Amino acid sequence: MPSGGPPGRYVVSEEAAPVLDVAKMAVEAALKAGADYADTRVGTDLTEGITVRNQEMEGIDRSESTGLGVRVLVNGRWGFAATARLDESEIAHTAAAAVQIAKAAARLPGEAVSLSAVDPVEGSWRSPMSEDPFTVPLEEKIALLMEATRRMQGVKGVTFAEGGMDLFRRSTWFASSEGAAIDQVTTHSGAGLEATAVDDGEMQQRSFPNSFRGHVKANGYEHIRTLGLVEEAEHTATQAVELLRAPECPTEITTLILDSGQMELQVHESIGHAVELDRVLGMEEAYAGSSFVRPQDRGTLRYASPLVSITADASLPGGLGSFGWDDEGVPAQRTPIIVDGVFQHFISSRETATRIGDVSQGAMRADGWQHLPLIRMTNISLEPREGSLADIIGDTKNGIYMCTNQSWSIDDKRVNFQFGCEIAWRIRDGKVTTMYRNPNYAGITTEFWGSCDAVAGREEWTLWGTPNCGKGQPPQVGRVGHGASPARFRDVQVGVR
Amino acid sequence: MPGLIGRDGFEQVARAALDLNGVDGVEVLFLHEFGGLTRFASSEIHQSTYREDTALRVRVVTQDRVGVASSNDFSVEGARRAAQSAKELASVVGADPLFPGLAGPTEPRAHESFDEATAATTPEERAEAVAQLVGRCPPGFTAAGAYETMAVEIGVATTAGQVVWQPTTQASLTTVISGGEGGNGFAEAFTAGAAEVDPEAIGARAADKAVASQRPKPLEPGPYTVVLEPAAVSTLVGFLAWIGLGGRYLAEGRSCLSGKEGQQVIAPSLSIWDDAADPATLGATFDFEGVPRQRVDMIADGVFLGGVYDMRTAQQTGRQSTGHALPSPNPDGPFPLNMFMSTGDATVEEMIGSTAHGVLVTRFHYSNVVNPIDSSITGMTRDGTFQISGGEVAGPVMNFRFTQSILEALSAVSMVGRETQLASEFFFSASRVPALKIDRFNFSSRSDH
Repeated sequence: MPSGGPPGRYVVSEEAAPVLDVAKMAVEAALKAGADYADTRVGTDLTEGITVRNQEMEGIDRSESTGLGVRVLVNGRWGFAATARLDESEIAHTAAAAVQIAKAAARLPGEAVSLSAVDPVEGSWRSPMSEDPFTVPLEEKIALLMEATRRMQGVKGVTFAEGGMDLFRRSTWFASSEGAAIDQVTTHSGAGLEATAVDDGEMQQRSFPNSFRGHVKANGYEHIRTLGLVEEAEHTATQAVELLRAPECPTEITTLILDSGQMELQVHESIGHAVELDRVLGMEEAYAGSSFVRPQDRGTLRYASPLVSITADASLPGGLGSFGWDDEGVPAQRTPIIVDGVFQHFISSRETATRIGDVSQGAMRADGWQHLPLIRMTNISLEPREGSLADIIGDTKNGIYMCTNQSWSIDDKRVNFQFGCEIAWRIRDGKVTTMYRNPNYAGITTEFWGSCDAVAGREEWTLWGTPNCGKGQPPQVGRVGHGASPARFRDVQVGVR
Repeated sequence: MPGLIGRDGFEQVARAALDLNGVDGVEVLFLHEFGGLTRFASSEIHQSTYREDTALRVRVVTQDRVGVASSNDFSVEGARRAAQSAKELASVVGADPLFPGLAGPTEPRAHESFDEATAATTPEERAEAVAQLVGRCPPGFTAAGAYETMAVEIGVATTAGQVVWQPTTQASLTTVISGGEGGNGFAEAFTAGAAEVDPEAIGARAADKAVASQRPKPLEPGPYTVVLEPAAVSTLVGFLAWIGLGGRYLAEGRSCLSGKEGQQVIAPSLSIWDDAADPATLGATFDFEGVPRQRVDMIADGVFLGGVYDMRTAQQTGRQSTGHALPSPNPDGPFPLNMFMSTGDATVEEMIGSTAHGVLVTRFHYSNVVNPIDSSITGMTRDGTFQISGGEVAGPVMNFRFTQSILEALSAVSMVGRETQLASEFFFSASRVPALKIDRFNFSSRSDH
């Protein structure tokens, strides 16, 4: 397996060639079985997870999964089959199964799938990495988490001090009947802390650098070294304990300031998913839902205030949604989604783009070899503006400042949402005052984004990773990225009961 | 299409891991799944898939140090490599003071859970079923959804002497029918056998709801009497399982039911239990540690009796495992995967007929925890939300967001349905629950559709 390297594109490496030959063999088998078009992905996923709790091992595990998925078009209908066995007869069997599935789809009438054009390429891509996290000694990784939890436990009142680390590597070898032959390797590294305080029927948590296992990036162990887990451990634990005695977030309509970590999920749920073209076209209707955005809204829908610009960028270094080419062989792109508040483009696939007279924006990715690619967010980011979080707070007479996501919920058209955060403070006359526990807020997507009147600048902008985005049937987990700065919104309902 | 690997095939490969030298104990968890899913939208079949995969998850223990490694290489060599990798992990970690040992020989209860025909369902058969469902769409309406038929065999073997293996199947057909001037309808079936799935009935039910949901009107949010159909009730029960009924959360004071054993926590008309061996549910009768799943009466006549436990949380709390472990390592602890709620004597029509002013909810969407300690969750209604007025369904209303304590909602139950449905809030579990009438349920805001 390739061990990584600088970002960029290369010719197919010698070590990739034999696996690409397997992928090409599957393409040939599918064409022989009757496919009009075929693409295949051979994939290997490698993971390592470490969890330490109160200076004791909570769990350590590794996993490895290898297999092949065959996607075909027969008379304009998709079929997909996947197997973990890579011998020649099983590959032929799997390719034939994909063709059988595609033919069965013709039981119902429908419009034949048409794919937008793409130049088939032969190439390689690696996510940027300077220190392979899988070769860093386990003892060193465990020691880091042990020390961080030791410092959290040193804070009186902390019940559970937990540290977690997650490493992920996906190697993919893609071939298509159009002649593409691509091998890619992406490595993701992440870690985080969670302090929990339980007392007298109340429980509070604080996380660092973000909730749900921390901060994950498409980098090597050098990313984990920069997180400052040990340095921030005591402060994180102290806030968890302080929250136990803090008053409940009041119920009111007020000015809301969100930190960068919460903005990540606000972008994810109320913009990222809403602009997935498969949702817009009804393909996800029965499960995750559809979208209020329509194809005719391009260039006209006032989605947000003029301060808000959103970009999908699959070439962003370190983003979980970065790649050389998507799982249809479409090159990574930077696409304006919202420009100065006006909706411009969807994220799309070769099939869906054709349906609206567009070309693919290159967003098709599968949760491993065993799944059909779906439209997934790449790195959907809020573009920074100017100033600092301190400037925004200083400019706020009365409001609530919320940090770190704790829960999320949004309706089936991405209109009505409600988020919970770990902690909040009252902003009074430009100063941070009373701490609140159990803060949450709710809104209507375009009203909320339309009320945005401040977005902090580049120095406050963080590229976060969301490695747990669910979509599709059978369920798939997507790994996507979001960059965001803190931002301010007016007249928001907070303290929902 | 492949068939089962079988008990002998599992044991042969597992043996290669169990024979690992220089360790105190080894556990092998084996999963083999195969099956297909036919997905449809706009009344067209648009994404259909077939997959087969295996997983060998090997847990190695040496001096109470535990490492876990998994691989989908189902071979003697793959099992050896996974065991060796787990041994390496165990060698660098500290001892787990709560490690309870590995499961010893105990026979799980019998449960016929495998249907050969379901395992062998072809893409053509699934497409035909989908066509029958789509055929029930009225003019101007289309159907979206998925029909999945899966076979899963699970086995657990330990060096402490336990060897268990069981094949299972399941078939699920879910649809949302939409169209006209705006309005959706939902219906689903979740069974162990494809023969029990009636596509036309599911299509007809969803179509009726879609037609009845046309041109929904806005209704002010606030507290309402609600009639929740079983799919909506499964959301409340599923989240209660997650945040309330697992032994780890209970022991650590993180459950909404911590310290409430023996107390009345919901209405006396309701009981909740978990029983994997009941023919009316799905899945294996042993857990992912190989411990037989016991029937556990968690709430009886509204009184909280206790939660479910795996071996580690059982040791932590001085109990015996109830057989509810998830795959190790697992930060959430044990989980009840096969829950049941008791029935009453009412029909949904009687619940509606007794309601002067209220809301009928078909199902909830994208729910999440607000505060686990007071059991409050939030989520949206979707695919069939109706106003009830004067004992009748008065018409469709725009979808509501609810923000509501589960325990408070279940305490306000005034009528319980006489029939149950198997419904799934989370894709990995299902609950068999009735419809409920709840006298006070908080809708905190509203959407625009």
